[in-house]
Amino acid sequence: MSHSGSVRIEGVVKQHGSFTALHGLDLDIRPGEFFALLGPSGSGKTTTLRILAGLESVNAGRVMLDDTDVTHADPGERDVAMVFQSYALYPHMTVGENIAFPLKMTGTPAAERLAAAQEAAAKVGIGHLLSRRPGQLSGGQQQRCALARAIVRKPRLFLLDEPLSNLDAKLRIETRAELRRLQRELGVTVVYVTHDQEEAMTVADRMAVFMEGRVVQVGTPKGIYLRPASVAVAAFIGTPPMNLLPAELANGSVGVAGAWLPVDAAAGQRGRVVLGVRPGDLRIAADGMPAQIEFIEDLGDSAIILLRLDGQQIKMKTDQAQSLQEGQQVFLRFNPAAAHLFDHDSGLRL
Amino acid sequence: MAISMTAPAATGAGPVTLARQEQRFAVALLAPALLLLLLTTTIPLVYLAWNSLQRIDLGMPWLSGFAGLGNYAKMGSDPRFWSSLWLTAVYTASTVALQVVIGLSLALLVLQIPKGQGVLRIAAILPIVLAPVVVGLFWRTLVLAPDFGLVDLVTRSAGLASHNWLGDPQLALISVIAIHTWQWTPFAFLVMLATLATLPPDVYEAARLDRARPWQRFVYITLPLIRPAIVMVVIMRTMTALSAFAAIFAATGGGPGSSTEILNLYAYRTSFSELNVGYGASLAMVLMGITLAVSWLMFRLRKAR
Amino acid sequence: MKRHPVRHALLWLMAGLLLAVWAFPVLWALLTSFKSERDVLAYPPVWRFAPTLDNYREVLFGGSSILPNLWSSLVVSFSTTLLTMLFAVPAAYALARLNYPGKRASGFYVLATQMLPPMGLIIPYYLVLQKIGGLDSYSGLTAIYLSFSLPFAIWLMVSYFEDIPFEMEEAALLDRAGRMRTLWYIILPQVRGGIAVTTIFVFLNAWNEFLFAVVLGGNKVRPVTVAMFNFISVEQTQWARLAAGAMLAMAPVILIGLFAQRHIVKGLTVGAVKGGGRR
Repeated sequence: MSHSGSVRIEGVVKQHGSFTALHGLDLDIRPGEFFALLGPSGSGKTTTLRILAGLESVNAGRVMLDDTDVTHADPGERDVAMVFQSYALYPHMTVGENIAFPLKMTGTPAAERLAAAQEAAAKVGIGHLLSRRPGQLSGGQQQRCALARAIVRKPRLFLLDEPLSNLDAKLRIETRAELRRLQRELGVTVVYVTHDQEEAMTVADRMAVFMEGRVVQVGTPKGIYLRPASVAVAAFIGTPPMNLLPAELANGSVGVAGAWLPVDAAAGQRGRVVLGVRPGDLRIAADGMPAQIEFIEDLGDSAIILLRLDGQQIKMKTDQAQSLQEGQQVFLRFNPAAAHLFDHDSGLRL
Repeated sequence: MAISMTAPAATGAGPVTLARQEQRFAVALLAPALLLLLLTTTIPLVYLAWNSLQRIDLGMPWLSGFAGLGNYAKMGSDPRFWSSLWLTAVYTASTVALQVVIGLSLALLVLQIPKGQGVLRIAAILPIVLAPVVVGLFWRTLVLAPDFGLVDLVTRSAGLASHNWLGDPQLALISVIAIHTWQWTPFAFLVMLATLATLPPDVYEAARLDRARPWQRFVYITLPLIRPAIVMVVIMRTMTALSAFAAIFAATGGGPGSSTEILNLYAYRTSFSELNVGYGASLAMVLMGITLAVSWLMFRLRKAR
Repeated sequence: MKRHPVRHALLWLMAGLLLAVWAFPVLWALLTSFKSERDVLAYPPVWRFAPTLDNYREVLFGGSSILPNLWSSLVVSFSTTLLTMLFAVPAAYALARLNYPGKRASGFYVLATQMLPPMGLIIPYYLVLQKIGGLDSYSGLTAIYLSFSLPFAIWLMVSYFEDIPFEMEEAALLDRAGRMRTLWYIILPQVRGGIAVTTIFVFLNAWNEFLFAVVLGGNKVRPVTVAMFNFISVEQTQWARLAAGAMLAMAPVILIGLFAQRHIVKGLTVGAVKGGGRR
């Protein structure tokens, strides 16, 4: 409301006994941004969210909300709202009472509470369910109830912990769009934790990719997709995942399985590398990398082809699969600009 | 920690961490109860230990004085003590075994008549809610009394003679075991019934497809699945059996002679009938030691599973 | 499902037998309480008889009235239950859901206090109360009853508290509730059932207690469990009056048992099926 909702995390370290969950985390989130924390399980993204909420303490570092140091502030003092993965709805209260509860705790009079609850419920489309109990709601409705409870306080920061993971696939896609719309409408900063990279790609303005307690890349979804900073990120982002092949770089070309193909590399770069090519960037050609088709997944308007190249299984996406057959030997090429090159030892982008 | 260039730290309780607040709250909630527990259980126990080292005779107070381990030494050569130990073991083992076996069997059978379960649950509640002392009195008077009691009526009309169920040393032990079993089997029954109802049906379907016969299904599927419940029932019933007092006291008072005098009752009689409180205290200490040892053993067994 | 009519019939027969075995003694006592002393002692047993309320009259208003005993039982049981729940519920919450130094140790301690045989405590209690003149007093008896009520109640409530999803506190804290209000508004309402069951059990156990009552009570405070022995002496047993007295003494617990039967069964199985408290 009066605050803008900027978030800054500086050098935060979190340890559980001898295990370090977060190694010196730095993050900058702008007001009004829809910011995703993406990563596999155990990578530290949920821990980061909980630290922002104040549910976990830090061993070192600072957390700043709107230029105020809140590192040691109570959860209730931070003007932050959170939607838990399990929703954490109060089962003994009605939907209306659930939504109004935060206002009750800050001493808002009953009439105001009722009006605010109705408004919040209407915003998420459950205005007609106010007198029901959470146990009587469907999964999607419960989730909206949790959302309404979060927005009723008009907080400066919204934290969402894998909010869609309990929903079925179709509902997930619908709700994704709704969340974005809601966020735009409210103009509030959202920090969103997920392990589903497709989800993060579609909802986030910017995102941070977590791996093993560190942020390995921050940027817009498109930016990360087009220029992953490391092999790990490249393997994680994109469906189907990027093909990664060990190769040799010399004189502006990469050599894979005996074939040499041109790439955009700085002059003079050479050595062992990892070549990354997205399934959609591969093409069948008269010559190039030799591969054998193992399996064709026909998806209707396109197909995913599993091939074996140089002993490794790779995938290719195409809509020209009619003439292809399993067992067929083919040659693959790609656009030099579409190749991603990573150092073989460090995994970092060249 | 770097000092913020702009605003100071958030208002509130200052840098009091969430964890410490939680700790203070927890201590505030727990301390009163812990204090009460200390007062009502631990301190008396220390006093009991102290008493067991004394010679205290309430009838002849001038004889009281420090006795060291004399009470415990006396125990070793006290036949009544060893008899009470034996009786305790027999009583505990047989009542618990009977309860589990009967309770489980009944539950298995009753499972097959779902309509009867409601009424039976009500019937099962009755013995459990009654005061053990009243149960003992009931059995002593209405059930086991020679000539007029229910059991005698049955045996007499069946041609078996009337017996002095509580007055005959051998029969008395069997009688009190029967009383205890009667009162507490419903507990085992109810627990087993509830547990059996939660077993997943698909495991059984798979077993039937694997051509397992009912007996095999019971041994290889049911038993392992309900083992935790059985173990828990055994633990709880053992504790009750070890500290059983009121029913036996009401039915036989420990007699005839000392044929139903489990360690519990021996300690009571020694302290409050014979007024030899020091010796009684040492007996109680032994009982406590046994109870703690048995419960420790059982909990280890439970964890091992 | 094949139907075996014979087997089915046998099962029902067995069920009927069970019903008889478990319910009959109480029903027999009920019957006896309406008989005159003469009818009771008749053999073969008299099924048709002229019911009389003499026994109840005597037991309630006559010379061997147990009304003062019922009152004793009520006062002691009620105060025990009240105090127990007041102390046990917060303590159980702390044990179940909060983190603090010494949590494991205090958990073991509470469990250990449950294992104590009452016989071990009665001797020191008697000696101490005798010295401070606390024998035959309501406060003395209530305080001692707490020694078995409190551990039991804590242990039972802990398992109910553990059932609540742990995120409840976190959500409430974020909603600015603070610890105390979280407990009051969010947690306690969710264990209402557990509190009811625990209260019932605590009351039942207190009402039925005998050993402490007989040793530490006296002429003023004499719970009804002790008063049962009024009707039994070396010379004779006043059968019918004993039956009437016992029926009155057990009426509260039987009524509670019948009406709260579902709660009780749930409470019994909670302890056993969930592994009894500490995990």
